[in-house]
Amino acid sequence: MLTESRKSLRQLIAGLVIFLVAGLPSTLLAEEAQPADLIQTDKLELGKKVYFKRCVWCHGIEGEGNGPSADRLFTRPRNFIQGTFKIRWTDSGDLPLDQNLIDTVKNGLPGSAMPSWSGILSEDEIEAVVQFVKSLVQDRDFADEDEEVYVQDFGSNPWGTKGPYHFGVPQEDIDAGKEIFLKNKCFECHGGEGRGDGNPTMKDDWGFAIMAADWQQCWNFRGSRRNHFDPFNIVRTISTGMNGTPMPNFKDKITIEDRWKLAAFVNSLCPRKKIDRLTNKPINDFLIKSKRRIGAVSTDFNDPMWQAPDDDDRIKSRASDYEGNQYWHFVAVAGQITRGERNFKPKVDNLWVMSNWSEEEQAIYYLVEYHNRFLSVDPAYPDAVAIQWPGQLEELFGAEKPYFIFGDSKKPVDLWKANFMVKDYSDTAAPNPNGYDLDVTVEELVGNGFEAIFPKETPGGVQVVNSKYHQGRVKIMFKRSLMTENPDKTDVQIPIKTYIPIAFMEWSGWAQEHDEHMAISTWLYTILEPELPKSLLYMPPIMATAWFGFQMWLVWMTKRTRKMAAEGKVK
Amino acid sequence: MNNVVKGLILYVVGWAAFHYGLFPLMTPKEPTWIVNRYVYYLLFVAYCLAFNLVLKLKPPISLNGLAVFLLGFYFYQSVLFPPIPWTLLITYMMLWGIGTFLYVSQDPATFAEFRKPIVRTVTGEYKLARYIVFASMPLLVGFGTYQFIYPSFPEPVELRTVHPAPPATTRVHGKNFTLEGLQNPFRIDEQDNYKDSFPFLDADKQEYMKSVTEGGTIFFRECHYCHGDQLNGLGMFSHVFNPTPANFVDPGTIAMLRESFLFWRVAKGGPGLPNESTPWSSAMPAWEEHLKTDEIWKVILFEYWYTGWHPRTFDEESSAAGGGE
Repeated sequence: MLTESRKSLRQLIAGLVIFLVAGLPSTLLAEEAQPADLIQTDKLELGKKVYFKRCVWCHGIEGEGNGPSADRLFTRPRNFIQGTFKIRWTDSGDLPLDQNLIDTVKNGLPGSAMPSWSGILSEDEIEAVVQFVKSLVQDRDFADEDEEVYVQDFGSNPWGTKGPYHFGVPQEDIDAGKEIFLKNKCFECHGGEGRGDGNPTMKDDWGFAIMAADWQQCWNFRGSRRNHFDPFNIVRTISTGMNGTPMPNFKDKITIEDRWKLAAFVNSLCPRKKIDRLTNKPINDFLIKSKRRIGAVSTDFNDPMWQAPDDDDRIKSRASDYEGNQYWHFVAVAGQITRGERNFKPKVDNLWVMSNWSEEEQAIYYLVEYHNRFLSVDPAYPDAVAIQWPGQLEELFGAEKPYFIFGDSKKPVDLWKANFMVKDYSDTAAPNPNGYDLDVTVEELVGNGFEAIFPKETPGGVQVVNSKYHQGRVKIMFKRSLMTENPDKTDVQIPIKTYIPIAFMEWSGWAQEHDEHMAISTWLYTILEPELPKSLLYMPPIMATAWFGFQMWLVWMTKRTRKMAAEGKVK
Repeated sequence: MNNVVKGLILYVVGWAAFHYGLFPLMTPKEPTWIVNRYVYYLLFVAYCLAFNLVLKLKPPISLNGLAVFLLGFYFYQSVLFPPIPWTLLITYMMLWGIGTFLYVSQDPATFAEFRKPIVRTVTGEYKLARYIVFASMPLLVGFGTYQFIYPSFPEPVELRTVHPAPPATTRVHGKNFTLEGLQNPFRIDEQDNYKDSFPFLDADKQEYMKSVTEGGTIFFRECHYCHGDQLNGLGMFSHVFNPTPANFVDPGTIAMLRESFLFWRVAKGGPGLPNESTPWSSAMPAWEEHLKTDEIWKVILFEYWYTGWHPRTFDEESSAAGGGE
């Protein structure tokens, strides 16, 4: 009896243990998974009002992402019907938390047309419109018991780096991150150096073309507003994926510690620039300074005179082993949406420009670099980049300039256009690790308005002296002599130490950009920095000596006054 | 301990405690009559007066002068809100400096006291001080001269007229419009009656909202790239252009303009501007190339409805006289 009861007791205990052990993970999960946030129906009325004043224009009447603006936007506005949202703390494929949607509305999505609504809408309005957006979801049910959401724990920044620029991650963790990047084949979409140049055929859940993020322009990362350099944004995206896009989650593939290291690597690729808090873009450099060189200018991209740190040296001081005094000028470009065949979806949104000029050669060089994920494979639509100048600089009075796109009937522009095709390139093949050479033809054009752009009869000798396409980055180096023979008065004559208007244009052949269907900058200025004045050598010592003399006089005067006071001549 | 050293310590420690301790507490998001930055500043000044009086420090006039000058600097630099630009700060501090000098030289005794260490430095009674000052000043002057001569090329500043005088008439789509007295044909009712109406939802029921909806549709197809989804001039392409796109939410744009002015500006765009408004760099298209006359009017109607501004209007008499031919 006793033994039997002991036996049964033992069985009971064993059963309990098995039950506990087997049941433990599921109970743990049950603790971590939580029901989706229900729709708060009392807020729907206010939410609807906000939606139909503010949101309907892009997201559409039913929330299908088909408002009036949708067809001309890249990336398109989100379609709410399927309940897929990008910025979440929940698992890939899960519904978002209310807080995630509130944050998205508040912060907007940098790099897209979605603006930040904080300060425009009140807290109540934002909470209400989020509830209304949830009510537009048709394919999922926030009240469904199966719609559990798993809220992830992203850990915290292991290096304790501080914003806004988050310097100070140890190099070995960045290197470890690179290993993780290679192992998980992130480059297949994001490209070897993270410029998003991996895969030209991607589609989102609705079949619209979509591009992988360019890691070197982290100010365009969705969910990064006013905090673009924080690795947390990247950890969140790696962990949760981007619902609706081909970006998967790596929650189970990569440990959280490694996700932070990977984020540190991705983050290290983004140059630290001053970001405009209102537009989420780096601040434009409106003046391109051309450095003076006494001898010939090197045409080698790797020469120190063409080297500058990626980080703005007003943010991070240059490394001690860095040679040279150059600076990358950031030139934002936008689609040409003014006349003719307008371009609402430019493929390139900024250029980086550097310039040198040579006293000996009497020539000026401009290096134009930009990121373009894919280049043209169709000779009918070559890629191109152009520098635009006022054609007759000496005729301009004051701030007067030709019209900033192709000039006007009275004031011509001088266009230096480099058309190019990449040699031995296919947009879908694995990229050549050594980069590609370009087949460049230079065109010199005179512009007198959109309808009057003609090749010059007497070109001024513009050359492209070096060019390359490597890992999603185009480099084109222009050269021309400062003065030309200029029989037809069509070439700009470039003076030293003068502010000269300059503008840039870019055509992405892969997207069949051509003629006025292109990307443009506004008028900027360039200046050829002159030789340092000789007076810099002698004036400071002269002034210092004069000041010393003044000091001596002061001593003499003071002593004399004292003496006179002592002798009772003055009081 | 020397009274001067004591005073200096109390100033520095007190400032640190006030600035890092009390200042954040006294500047909440919604300040009250008691808890605000200016009361905080008065408290700090009271503290400075109090420790000098209570401890009977009787500081030398030069220390007092320094304290007065720095208190002014602290006020303009950190306390005054909204912050002032540095050019203004320099102007204020120059005036404040003159004021401090007046305070120091208020009577011959204090001025003599203030002058004494300077004179002693010059005559060499303070030997070390004289060596330091007399050696460093010429170096500073030399360095300043170098900085002054060294060529620097700042971004040039360009001024332009934002709202130029409109012409008397403008010709759009083959029709002459006299701007004086010209009215928006779709402004068929008082705008404020439609504050609680909604585009699309009320477009079938209300003629006015139908025009607003159509205007908004055009705006979000054509204009928001520059003027922004919120009409605040911060569209996706706005950062590229100089001049930057107009911010319609700002009280200085459409709120102070007539609809006829907007009609002219929209129809003729950047190229239609007079020279003082730099037509060569405005990215605003001449919308008559892309939109019909009615569409231009509807966009204008939408911009006012959305922002809640009212257009400036003509008086009855002149509006009866003008209009489209």
